[in-house]
Amino acid sequence: MPVPAVALAGAGFATVVTSWVTYMATVPSGKVPLRPYRHFAVQAVGAGLAITGIATGATAGGALLPTLVAAPALTLAGLFGWLYSQRATPVGRLQVAIGDAVRPFTALTPEGDTFDVASLRGRRVLLKFFRGHW
Amino acid sequence: MRRFETISPKLAEYGVEVVALSKDTPQDAALQRTRDKLTFQLLSDPKLEVIKDYGVEHHKAVEFSTGRFTVMGLPLALVPSFKSMAIPTTLLIDEHGAIQWIDQSEDYRIRSAEDRVLSEVQRVFDRV
Repeated sequence: MPVPAVALAGAGFATVVTSWVTYMATVPSGKVPLRPYRHFAVQAVGAGLAITGIATGATAGGALLPTLVAAPALTLAGLFGWLYSQRATPVGRLQVAIGDAVRPFTALTPEGDTFDVASLRGRRVLLKFFRGHW
Repeated sequence: MRRFETISPKLAEYGVEVVALSKDTPQDAALQRTRDKLTFQLLSDPKLEVIKDYGVEHHKAVEFSTGRFTVMGLPLALVPSFKSMAIPTTLLIDEHGAIQWIDQSEDYRIRSAEDRVLSEVQRVFDRV
């Protein structure tokens, strides 16, 4: 078994996963870095280690095992870059403007009851549309 | 959403309540409320009726989901998929039901910043 090659690929995988975990940990608290350069650098190091692992295996001991370990690392690193490229939101076709009255609507409460926005009359409200629980 | 929890005492000084709406089901909203210890009103619009009516639908947005690993019953975000959901949008509504401020995020990862929200609240409303 090409131990050094697999170890290199494994180190690459661990590096990429560590970067992912630390990045995702910022999501619930809303502290996502605007420009995650540090994460990009760490991901690149991880991908580099993974590729070095494959190359080392190819010259001594076989490339199959290190490739199996390196592939998920490279996939995850690529996914990180791709997701960053998807960060822009579409402008949407906003149907309300400043000065407009709030558009009447009903929605469900966490208890499953119907909530009517009319019940907020007479109160100041910060209405937040958000993407969802994650 | 936890960040809105942290600024809600300051918002309360201006008599402003937070109401947050997403495509989550009431069940998911209830779980999130528990997980993130939220005290403000969460609303569910699973059919995106309100989101579409306000024109804040993001078609085929990237969402992470998996059923395998969960944190307090909510799926741990691991696998990306495409789903329609709300474009992060903040509306400030006065006591007469009129919209006073609209803020949309250009980068879905970054939500309306607390300081921006607070300065707008201070601009629009008097302290109560």
